[in-house]
Amino acid sequence: MATRTLQAPAKTSGRDRAERKLAFRMTAPSLFIMALVAAVPIGYAIWLSLNQYSVRTAGLSRFVGLENYVNALASQEWWAAFGQTFLFAGLSVSLELILGTAMALLLNLAFKGRAVLRTVVLLPYAIITVVSAITWQTMFQPNMGLVTNVLSALGLPGGDVVWLGEHGYAMAVIVMADVWKTTPFAALIILAGLQVISAETYEAAELDGASKWQTFVNITLPLLRPAIVLAAIFRTMDALRVFDLPFVLTRGANGTESMSMLAYTQLRENRLVGEGSALSILTFLTVMVVSVIYVRFAGGNIRDVAKEEQ
Amino acid sequence: MDLNRPALPLQNKATPRTRKALAATAVAAALLLSACGGGAAPQGAEQAAAADPASGANASGAVNICGVKDASGIYKGTAEAFTKANGKVAAKYTEIGATTDEARTQIVQRLEGKSTECDLFVTDVIWTSEFASQGWLLDQTKLVEANKDRLIPSTVETTKYQDKYWGSPFFTNAGLIYYQKDKVAKPESWQQLYAEAAKAPGNGYVYQGKQYEGLTVNFLEMLYSAGGEVLNEQGDVKIDSKETRDVLNFMSDGLKNSSADRAVLTYNEDPARLAYESGDFGYQRNWPHVYRLLNATPLASSFAVAPLPAWEGGKASGVLGGWNLAISAHSTNQAGAVAFIDFATSPNWQKHVAMDYSQAPVNEAAYSDPAVLQKMPFATELLASVKGAKPRPISPVYPQISQAIYKNVYAVLSGTASTEEAVQKMAEEITTAKASF
Repeated sequence: MATRTLQAPAKTSGRDRAERKLAFRMTAPSLFIMALVAAVPIGYAIWLSLNQYSVRTAGLSRFVGLENYVNALASQEWWAAFGQTFLFAGLSVSLELILGTAMALLLNLAFKGRAVLRTVVLLPYAIITVVSAITWQTMFQPNMGLVTNVLSALGLPGGDVVWLGEHGYAMAVIVMADVWKTTPFAALIILAGLQVISAETYEAAELDGASKWQTFVNITLPLLRPAIVLAAIFRTMDALRVFDLPFVLTRGANGTESMSMLAYTQLRENRLVGEGSALSILTFLTVMVVSVIYVRFAGGNIRDVAKEEQ
Repeated sequence: MDLNRPALPLQNKATPRTRKALAATAVAAALLLSACGGGAAPQGAEQAAAADPASGANASGAVNICGVKDASGIYKGTAEAFTKANGKVAAKYTEIGATTDEARTQIVQRLEGKSTECDLFVTDVIWTSEFASQGWLLDQTKLVEANKDRLIPSTVETTKYQDKYWGSPFFTNAGLIYYQKDKVAKPESWQQLYAEAAKAPGNGYVYQGKQYEGLTVNFLEMLYSAGGEVLNEQGDVKIDSKETRDVLNFMSDGLKNSSADRAVLTYNEDPARLAYESGDFGYQRNWPHVYRLLNATPLASSFAVAPLPAWEGGKASGVLGGWNLAISAHSTNQAGAVAFIDFATSPNWQKHVAMDYSQAPVNEAAYSDPAVLQKMPFATELLASVKGAKPRPISPVYPQISQAIYKNVYAVLSGTASTEEAVQKMAEEITTAKASF
């Protein structure tokens, strides 16, 4: 600090401090509102999770410390849901990024009707998840569903499978439903990333005699990384909180119960407010740890690329 | 360029802050979502007050009845007819949830918040003990006793908790077997039904086997007829029994030898009905409302209705569904609520319950009324099912008990657990649930 004060003129430092104060004052109202709408409910949820509320005697509650957490972490259900949620997130997010990149590359080509197509591909994303879940449920209905009928008509395997009643298959349907719905969202973010890559870079590559594939691997992908990472962060956070798809499609049967579903069952169906809140907080902590890892490691790349571009 | 220099360290310092801000926003967003689910903690124990059966006669003012979306029109219809007949009390029905689950959430929120908005709640039979134990309802023991001779005893039992009655049955519900009389025989026992169903590919049996409340009902219907039980009179866990094992083995064998299509593992009520309507099946277990829908299909002339069959060597039983009328402890017009209950459960109105809304009356005489029989030709079979049916386990932790049942039954049916594992886990989980604080 001392060296810094010596190097920098005292005047600037004073103004600096004044400016910071002003900045603080200007952001204070929004910080206050943030605290009110976010911190208060969070604090309350944490408080609830440290208590148990009687389901047999009205108004009875007791402070149990971390017991709800200990019980949750000792239960098979939590770890099963934990594993299933991560499996779902891993599968769906990777598929969404691969397909989303492909889709973005297509939409980035110059062709007639591009603007219309860009709007149209977003349609699945505009459909309410519960509605799309019901649609997928109908399509995979045994005996009368579209998918099962088409598969059996073509003599392909899977036509006689009860998709939502079978381990593995049920997860496949849920992943498909999620990929169908949210790939356009990933594509849109990646498309935005594609559009900031300057044409000159490609021209230079062409002059140097790079092949299409080399251009893609050595120019497009690295420059697209920040956009892909951003899409990955959004999608992962959403996927780890998945609720509506398994709730509608399987009710958590056949290895598809997610962390959020477990919390919902305890809170809403069983009215175990303390236990359910602990599960919510655990879900939240999981999502937070994952996003912090993303921001820390992948976020570094965003800055590197930004610097390189400068 | 030099001018920019002093700014650089600041920028570097800002980066971790941005990072933190990003993370904080993420945390806030996620927590906000989680925290929303927290709900309000229950508070304030109360001594339950009792409803006075005589108060209905002098009632006046407005009565607000709250409950699930009125799909058949029965709630609004009853409120209108009551208002017209009574002259002094005006009743109206307020829909507070599109599905049963949503309605329950909405009712619980109002009761926890001591809301005076609703005088009466239309409650699913399985909610009684939970609501009563929380002191949310008015004790209707005297009212029920005054009306006892007009109500079918099994339906009254669904409103009982700790030797008191906390509601009056409005209409009831019991499972029925729909069968194709051109293909299969009328089921006398579950064993005969399953054997007949396995005989030909088009004879199969469809029921509700998805992992949800309906599977608990389907399982208990068989368990009760086999003489098994979940809790005994004293409330002890009795699920770990030979009967439970027999029924589980029977159901899972039925899937293996194609008595029942494996697709039932994904069926709740509507998909089961739709599958049956395709004409590819012989038997279907479903609720009475399906009768009207089946009558509008090409199967109209070929299907028949039977009460649920007996377990071989046992007697027929079933599980009661249906809806009760519970008076909120915070109602500001309890007398009006009593008057409404008197009207809704009256033998005359109970006939309309069947004729106008195709629901199962809670008054026995209604089932043999000629006008009812004309509109509901299966009334005799329905009455048999209703009278033989028993309530689901009565406990404030019923949701947990039901989950223990349907999750473990499902595990056996889908082949991920053995009968032995499932029975033990079921007993263990029900015992844990019962020990809930």
